[in-house]
Amino acid sequence: MGVVLPVRHQAPLPTTLIRAETPRAEAIELDVLIVGGGPAGLACAIQLARSAPDLGVGVLEKAGSLGEHSLSGAVINPIALRALFPDKPDSEFPFRQRVEGEAVYFMTAAGSLRIPTPPTMKNHGNYTVSLCELVRWLGEQAEALGVNIFPGFPAESLLVDGQRVIGVRTVAGGLDRDRNPTDVFQEPTDLTAKVVVLAEGTRGPLAQAWRDWQQVGSDNPQIFALGVKEVWEIPQPLDRVIHTLGWPLPRDAFGGSWCYPMGPNQVSIGLVVGLDYHDAGLDVHESLQRMKLHPLFRGLLQGGTLLEWGAKTIPEGGYYAIPHRLSGDGVMMIGDTAGLVDVPSLKGIHYAMESGMLAATAIVAALQQHGGGGGAHLAAYDQAVRQSRIVGDMHVTRNMRLAFKDGFVGGVVKAGLMTISRGAFPGGRIAMAADAEAPRETHADTPFVPDNVLTFSKVDAVFKSGNATRDTIPSHLVVGRDITGDVADFYAHLCPAGVYERQGDTLRVNPPNCVDCKATDVLGPRWTPREGGSGPRYRLM
Amino acid sequence: MANVLAVLEVRNGALRKGSAELLAAARRLADASGGTVDALVCSTGAVNTDTLGAAGADRVLSASHADFANYCPDGTVATVASVSAQYRAIVVSASATGKDLAPRIAARINAPCAMDVTSVDLSGDTIRVVRPVYAGKALQTVDLRGSTVIAVRPGAYAGLGAGKAGANVSITVPPFTKRLDVTGIRTANTGLLDVAEARVVISGGRGLGDPKHFVLLEELAAAFGGEAAVGASRAVVDAGWAEHGAQVGQTGKTVAPELYIAVGISGAIQHLAGMRTAKVIVAINRDKDAPIFKVADYGIVGDLFEVVPALTAAVKQVKAH
Amino acid sequence: MKIAVCLRRTPDTTAKIVIAAGGTSIDETGVKFVPNPYDEYAIEAAIALKEKAGAGETVVVALGADSVQETLRTALAMGIDRAVHLQGNASADGLENARALADHVRGGGYDLVLFGKLAVDDYGQQTGAMVAELLELPCATAITMLEIADGRATVEREVEGGVEQATCALPAVFTCDKGLNNPRLPSLKGIMAARKKPFDIAPVTVAAGAVTVASLVLPPERAAGRIVGEGAAAVPALMQLLVSDAKVI
Repeated sequence: MGVVLPVRHQAPLPTTLIRAETPRAEAIELDVLIVGGGPAGLACAIQLARSAPDLGVGVLEKAGSLGEHSLSGAVINPIALRALFPDKPDSEFPFRQRVEGEAVYFMTAAGSLRIPTPPTMKNHGNYTVSLCELVRWLGEQAEALGVNIFPGFPAESLLVDGQRVIGVRTVAGGLDRDRNPTDVFQEPTDLTAKVVVLAEGTRGPLAQAWRDWQQVGSDNPQIFALGVKEVWEIPQPLDRVIHTLGWPLPRDAFGGSWCYPMGPNQVSIGLVVGLDYHDAGLDVHESLQRMKLHPLFRGLLQGGTLLEWGAKTIPEGGYYAIPHRLSGDGVMMIGDTAGLVDVPSLKGIHYAMESGMLAATAIVAALQQHGGGGGAHLAAYDQAVRQSRIVGDMHVTRNMRLAFKDGFVGGVVKAGLMTISRGAFPGGRIAMAADAEAPRETHADTPFVPDNVLTFSKVDAVFKSGNATRDTIPSHLVVGRDITGDVADFYAHLCPAGVYERQGDTLRVNPPNCVDCKATDVLGPRWTPREGGSGPRYRLM
Repeated sequence: MANVLAVLEVRNGALRKGSAELLAAARRLADASGGTVDALVCSTGAVNTDTLGAAGADRVLSASHADFANYCPDGTVATVASVSAQYRAIVVSASATGKDLAPRIAARINAPCAMDVTSVDLSGDTIRVVRPVYAGKALQTVDLRGSTVIAVRPGAYAGLGAGKAGANVSITVPPFTKRLDVTGIRTANTGLLDVAEARVVISGGRGLGDPKHFVLLEELAAAFGGEAAVGASRAVVDAGWAEHGAQVGQTGKTVAPELYIAVGISGAIQHLAGMRTAKVIVAINRDKDAPIFKVADYGIVGDLFEVVPALTAAVKQVKAH
Repeated sequence: MKIAVCLRRTPDTTAKIVIAAGGTSIDETGVKFVPNPYDEYAIEAAIALKEKAGAGETVVVALGADSVQETLRTALAMGIDRAVHLQGNASADGLENARALADHVRGGGYDLVLFGKLAVDDYGQQTGAMVAELLELPCATAITMLEIADGRATVEREVEGGVEQATCALPAVFTCDKGLNNPRLPSLKGIMAARKKPFDIAPVTVAAGAVTVASLVLPPERAAGRIVGEGAAAVPALMQLLVSDAKVI
C-alpha cells in the first residue's frame, strides 16, 4: 500500500491565462462579454438585452453549439425561470416533467433501505429537466433579443490593462499536435468589453487565474465533486425521483446517486462523489456501472438502452468557499464559477440564473451611471448576491457538506442537527483543505469488466458522450511532475473518460477523449481551453 | 403495360460491369405487367452487346455518335428523351455516371426520379421502390406515379443467365447542345488506398501487440491486389502504432467496404460505429467474448499470428486463379 | 462573379434516427440540425471563388420551413453575402423542389449555381442536376476539383476506377463533393456580421408532384454472425463462405 498526495504532482496554473497585452487591431468591441453560454451566462445576457437593448452583448461558448457541454441531474427549482420570463407560463419552459414523488434510499451491496427524505432534498413543485435542452432554449430566447452568441469559441486568456480586465482572447483553431497551423487554421480573436462576465461553469480556468492574480481568497478553498451521468431509454416509466446514499461508495467518501424520470421513456441516472475521497482506486464511472447492477436499478434499466453518457464536476464548498469578491475592475463571476451551489438541496441551476440576473442589473446601473468607466463600479453585484436568496440559502446549509469530511456516519448526525437548527449548530466554520491536499491510499485493483448491456467501458462511454474531437489537436492537458505508476493509476481511475492510462510505470494521455469534466484539473493534470467545438456533444444531459 | 428502358454505360468501348444487374432489375419491373425491356447503348459504334439479350433485353437500341467516345450527358439525355414516351420506367445503374444521368433525364422528360434504389416493384399505377436514407440508418419506401426514372444500386439484383437473343435496333441521336465536355478519365492517384474508399479494409487493434505486426495486415491487403487498405482502431492510433488517416471509428473514418476484416480488435462501440455498415464483417480475435463477434458475419477465434498468414495464403491462391 | 449556393438543413450525421409517429419521417425531438455537410463544400467554393475574383456576390438560397433560416445564417456567418429563404414546404418529389429553385435562380444573373452532391437526410441526389436541366445550363455533379478561367470551368469528379475530367462554359451548375475544399468555420466577426446581412424571405408554393413517401423504417438489425471455427484450421471454411456465399472475394 502506498500513498499519493495529489497536490505534489500537480502543475501550476498556466501563466498564459492572464495577458497584459494590447488587444489586436482587429479586435471585436462589445459592451458586455459573457464567457460561457450556460444557464448563468444566458440568464445574464437575456436580462441585459431586456433592460438595456442598446448594449452590445456577446456570449462566448466553448461547445460547438449551445448546451453541448452542459450537464446536470437535474431537478430544477423553477423560480428563476419565472422571474426571468414573468410573461411565460410554466408550460412554455422546456421541462421534462413535474416531480410527483420522491424517495431516498440507503444502499448496501445487496439491498436498500428507504429513509425519510431530508428537508433539504424535498422537491415538490420542482421539475426534471435536461440542462442541455434548457440551455438551448435559453439560447434561442437570447438570440431573439439580439444577443450575439458565439458557439465554438473558447476563451483562451483574459486581456488585462493594469488591474483592469479589458477583454479576452479566443483559442486558435486548426492547429496540429505540434501547434503548427493546418489549412483550417483559425487565428485567435480578441474581444474587448467594458465588463467581462465569467460564467465558465465549474472550475473555470479564467476565474481561477483572475483570483490568483488579484488574490481573491475565500474562507475555505473551493472543493469539488465529480458526477457521472447516463440517460437511458427504458421500457417502463419511473414514477418518482430517487436519491441514494451509501453503497457503492466507501464509508469515507461523500456522495450519492440520483435517478430521475425524464418523461415516459427516459431516466437520468448518475453518481456524485466528493473529490476528497481517500481510496486512490475509487473510480466514479466504474462505481456507477456497478451501481446499475444493484436490484434497486437493474430492473428499471433492464431491456433499456444507454442513450447518452457524460461527466462533470460540481463546486461543493458552499457558503464558506464563495470568493471574498465576486467582481473586480471590469470583471465579475457568476453561477458555478462563483461556487453558487447548495449541495444539501442539490441545486445550482436557479442560483446560477439568479446570479446572472443580478450581475446584469449591476452592469446596467454601472454603465448608465459611469458610461465607459462603469467596469470599475461593479461592487453592487457583490452586495446584491450577499443579500439574495442564493447566499441566504447557502448560509443555512453552510457546514452541511463540510460535516462529511471525516466520514459518513458522523456527517449524517451533524447534518441532522444542522437541519434542525437551520445551520446554527454546531456553529462556526468547519475548515476544509483543498481536495488536492487529501492523501490517497493505493491498493491492488480488481479490474471491472463491463457486460456491454447494462455496463460499459470508458471508451464506450466517451462514444456515448458524442465526443468527436479532432484527434490531431494539440494536447490541452498539462501534466505535473514526478508521475509514478501509482499516480498514473490514480489519474486513470479519477478520469471518467479514459484520458489517462498507466503504461508500465508511465502515464499515457489521450487528450481527445476529454469531456471537460475538470476532475483532473482539481486533482491532477491541468485543463486548459482547447479548439472550439472539441469535447462532448451532449444533447440530453 | 410497363415497358422499361435500361440505359447502359459504356467506357473505353465496352459495356461496364453492372449492365446485367441493371437489366435484371428492368426485367423485374417489366415482367410484372408483361412489358418489354429495351437496353440503350450510347457509343461511337463498336460495342459488343451480344450478352444483353441473354441478360434480359428484348431489344438493344444502339445510338452512335462521335461525341459518345467519353460520357456525354447532354447527348445521352437527348437520345433517351427522343424515345422516352414509349417507356413507363427508365432505369440506370446508381454508379457515378448513372447518378449524374438520372436526374437530368427526369427533368428533361418531366418525370420523378429515385436514386440508389435497392428494390423495385410495380403495383397498379405506381412504381414502389425502397432506398436507404440517413446514411443507411433508415429505409424509405417511395411510390412514384407516371413515368419514372430510377437509379438502381449496383448489387441490388443479380444478373440473369437464361434469356434469349435480343433484337438489334439502331436509333438516331437527335441534335443536342454539348454543354458539358467530358475530356477523359485519368487514373486515380495510385498511392496507398484510403480506408474510406477501399473495397476491402483490414483493420488492426491492440491485439496485434506491437506496431511492427501491422506488416501481417499489409501482406493480407497486398494479397487482395490493390483493392484493400489497412485500417486501425483508435486505441492503436492513439498509441502511435498507425497513422490517423487509417483510423476507423467515430472520430476517425466511417467505412462501408464490401469486406471488413477486424484483426485483434475487441470492438468498442466507437469503432463499431465506423464500420458496421460494411457488407461483410470478419473478426479474428483470441477472445471469444469480444464484442466484435456480435457484429461480425464470420468469426475466427484464435491466434491472429497463425490465422492471418493462413488467410493471406488462401486469398493469394484464390486471386491467382 | 455572382454565385448562388442552394442549401439544405439536415440532421447532424451522428444523430440517432427515431421514426416519428405516422411512420414516414424521423422524430425531430432533440435532434441537432446542421447545414448539409456537402453544401458546406459549395459554400466554401463560392466564398473562395469570390475572394479570388475580387468582386461579385454570393447568395445562399434555401427552400423550406422557417427552421431553415438558422441554417442560412450559418452560411452568412461563414462569409456568404446574402440569404434568400424560399418559404414553403418542400415536396417529396425532387423535381418540384428543383422547379422552385430554378424559378428563383433564373434571371438572377448567376455565373455559377452550386449545390452539395447530396443531402444527408433523404439522399435525393437529384436537385442540382435537375435545376441545371430546367435552366438549360451545363452541369457536372459531385465535383472534387473546380477551376475557373476565361469564362470557362474545368472540373473533376470521381468515377469508378478513375477521375473524370470535363470543361464547360459559364454560367453552369455544379454539385460539390468531399475533397473539393476544406470548408471554413464561421469566424466571430462573421457571426456578428451575419446579423446585418440582407435576408430576403419569399413565399413559394411547391407542387406535391408525383412522389409519395409510403414508409420510413429502421433497417433490420444485423443478423447475428457465427464463429466459423478456431485457429488457422478455420481459414478454408472462412474462404469458402467469403468466395461462394458472400461473394466478396
